[in-house]
Amino acid sequence: MNKTDKMLVGERTFCVLLLAFSLVILYLAYQIAGFSSINSPGAFPLGVALVMIISAAKICVDLIGKARPDCNGWLDAMQQFRRQHFPKRTLIFAALAVAYLAAIQWISFYASTFCFLVLSIVYLRGGRIAGALLVAALLLLLIYLLFTLAFSVYLP
Amino acid sequence: MTETLSYLLMAWSDPQLLLLTALGTFAGIYIGAIPGLSVTMAVSILVSFTFSWEVNDALALIVGIFIGGVYGGSRSAILLNIPGAPSSVATAFDGYPLAQQGEAGRAIGLSTVMSVIGGLVGTLVLASAAPVIGDLALRFAPRDYFLVAAIGLLLVGSLAEGSLAKGIFAAALGAIIGLVGMDPVTAQGRFTLGQVELMGGIHYVVLMIGLFGVAEAFYQLHNLDTPPVRQKVDKIIPSLAMVLKFLPLSVRTSLIGVVVGVLPGVGGDIAALMAYDHAKRTVKNPTKPFGKGAYEGLVAPETANSAAVGGAYVPMLTLGMPGDAVTAVIIGALVIHGLNPGPMLMVENPHIFWFTVGNLALANIFLLVFGLMGIKLFAKFVEMPKAVLIPLILVLCVVGTYSINSSMTEVYWMLGFGLLGYLLKIFGFQMGPIILGAILGPLMDTSYRQAMSSVGDNPVELLRELVTSPLSLILTSAVVLILLGNTSLLKKLKCKCKAAMARG
Amino acid sequence: MLKALLTGAALGLSALTLALPAHADYPERSIQAVIPWGAGGATDNVMRSLTPYVEKELGGKFILNNRPGGTAVIGSTYVMQQRPDGYTILLGAENPQLYPVLKLATFDYSDFYPINIIGQNVVVIAAPADAPFSTMAELLAAAKANPDTLRMGTTGAGGLPSTVHAMINAVDELKVREVTFGGDGPGITALMGKHIDFMPLSLAAAKELVRTGKLKALAVLTTEEVPELPGVEPITKALPAISEYLPWGPFWGAFVRKDTPDDVKQKLVDAYAKAVANDEFQGFLKNFGAHSLNLTGAEAEAFLKRWQSVTTWSMYKAKAIDIAPDSVGIAKP
Repeated sequence: MNKTDKMLVGERTFCVLLLAFSLVILYLAYQIAGFSSINSPGAFPLGVALVMIISAAKICVDLIGKARPDCNGWLDAMQQFRRQHFPKRTLIFAALAVAYLAAIQWISFYASTFCFLVLSIVYLRGGRIAGALLVAALLLLLIYLLFTLAFSVYLP
Repeated sequence: MTETLSYLLMAWSDPQLLLLTALGTFAGIYIGAIPGLSVTMAVSILVSFTFSWEVNDALALIVGIFIGGVYGGSRSAILLNIPGAPSSVATAFDGYPLAQQGEAGRAIGLSTVMSVIGGLVGTLVLASAAPVIGDLALRFAPRDYFLVAAIGLLLVGSLAEGSLAKGIFAAALGAIIGLVGMDPVTAQGRFTLGQVELMGGIHYVVLMIGLFGVAEAFYQLHNLDTPPVRQKVDKIIPSLAMVLKFLPLSVRTSLIGVVVGVLPGVGGDIAALMAYDHAKRTVKNPTKPFGKGAYEGLVAPETANSAAVGGAYVPMLTLGMPGDAVTAVIIGALVIHGLNPGPMLMVENPHIFWFTVGNLALANIFLLVFGLMGIKLFAKFVEMPKAVLIPLILVLCVVGTYSINSSMTEVYWMLGFGLLGYLLKIFGFQMGPIILGAILGPLMDTSYRQAMSSVGDNPVELLRELVTSPLSLILTSAVVLILLGNTSLLKKLKCKCKAAMARG
Repeated sequence: MLKALLTGAALGLSALTLALPAHADYPERSIQAVIPWGAGGATDNVMRSLTPYVEKELGGKFILNNRPGGTAVIGSTYVMQQRPDGYTILLGAENPQLYPVLKLATFDYSDFYPINIIGQNVVVIAAPADAPFSTMAELLAAAKANPDTLRMGTTGAGGLPSTVHAMINAVDELKVREVTFGGDGPGITALMGKHIDFMPLSLAAAKELVRTGKLKALAVLTTEEVPELPGVEPITKALPAISEYLPWGPFWGAFVRKDTPDDVKQKLVDAYAKAVANDEFQGFLKNFGAHSLNLTGAEAEAFLKRWQSVTTWSMYKAKAIDIAPDSVGIAKP
């Protein structure tokens, strides 16, 4: 943790979310076998969940006393967080990645990988389609040789 | 004696075996470097592929792949901050910072030489003391595995940069992810949310590829416009003085690697992390601070994971029991080839033992040659434009994840872990402890319950055993000492002593 | 690139041909064979040894695919979800027969068509070489003298040791502490280190260790001595009543989905029958400590039915499961 006196934008929300997540894990761990025995399937998970809660609480407590980030209210903080960590480029690349995964099952691995590589390289570099086509083709050939021929990995 | 020597040198003198070992080592380096392509997978494919071969030919190729593959993981860890295999996670801690400072070539050179030293120490131990340490492995009762896992988890203290609470949280999160799936005792689902796909659990390599590969790709998107670091490509091969300087450390970490490698169910991944921890505790003045490109932080894990290979062969050759997943497949290969891996293997087929020893040494020599070749080319890899590199990394992550279990669901999980890793990274959490938790959590759970069942669910009896059995007592004291070392208690005690001495 | 495009085109074409009912040329592409256990395990070993012979007989290529996890639920479920075209084969062990009573899944092998029941393993009750008991009768006596103190190695619910334990409990009483391991391997290691007192094992796993004196065999789960372990008494000597469940043992088989076209089934059945009968494979099975079965068609189905009924009813009798087998359609033996 960087020992700056200022909290990062969204840090408090994130830490509280972690604490909430730990509580959900505790509930799920309790559901496995309750407190039936010290040797039940749920015993160790319960212990781990407790450790999670304690450490998450400690992380939250550590935040007290730190200065608030400069933002006006909740909405502004959200926007700042998005600008800092999820700029347009990140969001579009993430969307491309998800679309790519979905496409694998629809139009086979090789076709979707080729499209993904060309689209994302062209987008990130801002043009130069020929280069992108070449790189994508080379990588596909490499994957074909390595995975399909040498390793007989069954690609969808 | 002459017979032993002839077996030992068999791989060195037969051109075909020489070629197969070389080929295996070369291929292994690149298989190991790609996350998701694992040595286990490569070896199990080779088993059907080499079905009709002579057993020696098949073993030569497998040994080469094993040695090359364990080393290969360090390549992608150093160059891209994506460990090729879990045993290279610790290599990335200091290797990647070095690459960012333009020293990728030097880091690869050093890690190659150190892997070879580790590999040779492992082979030497295998050759000289296999039966003795094979018996040692049998002495580990479930409670001792529990303690080993506990010691491993306590490494969080040194892996977590900055906030210990964040490190502990990350390790616990990893443990929960590792526990997802069917409970091995009752076959009851845990954290499966009613999904059939989750009954088989989440492979920790899926987690690793997501946390390191995808998260790193997204992180690098911010640096798209900063030009890549120019890599210095001179002085790639470390000088003798440098090697000698690290020799004491590398021998110590190699021994850690062998011992951890011998234990079934614990392998190079844990060995490398323990060795990294050892280096961090014992090296007072590292070349650079740990985590920022310390050569020592590269030496320790690389020697340990290579030495663990020799260790993993010990229970396999002396008892017919696998030391890790790869040796499990090799045992299968021996069975298919009509040999009987078991305690009599060394008596009935001594050539297998000495042939393997000689072959391991040979593969390490080839590793030195192939590892130092083409480093300049690899260092240039980092200089590739990020706009090309980032999509390539993502595709490799997808292929790598899919090839583990041929499961598209796991690919989605991998992407999800990538997003999680990205968020955790933003808020200063470390990735290392998560992997540590995911590997050790399940081990701790099963060994805890085995230990509990063995004493009839009587915790008092278990506690008594922890301090009365000699082996357990040693391990328990280690746990207590590390705990004291991690908390400030010991430091305070030391300060008081010093103050008292000064006054006195 | 050209190669990639061609592959894409080939994949597209094969998808098209799938829709057509003609299977005269089966197999037209490589067959995906799913092994629902990890690489290096007993099932994996058997299947990897057998497959080259099947490839030769069938004239096609198999891609072996390990999909381990959840007592083989993951791999078997995957095969259930694929098209019934004979291009996805399940190479599994006995486990799915217990899914209904263990509530692990809603299907069992009756939802598949058995191409071949390849072979069966013999079960051995093994103990460390210096254990205070040398026969099954002595083990039972020791357990009765101090109930719930002996430590038995198991591999979890539905695993071989707990099934055998249930069979013994169905006819006698064996109260022990069950220590669960991730598989035969870790269990045997613990057994050799004397961290557990005994463990039912497959002959394939225990043979070498018994032969070399690292472990001793208390009994074999048969009605007669087996040639691989001369001098080891059959379990019926100490427990005559258990004979109603015998012969019993874990088995391996090849399966496809039930609605696979008949001509494809027939081709696979023929190829597997020839491959299993191959002398070299028979030699492997013998060395592995397994008994060849090579059952097909009605014989295979009868075998599966009997195995399931014997196993589940003995487990029910020993109160190892709480679902009555007949409530999920399993008739009494």
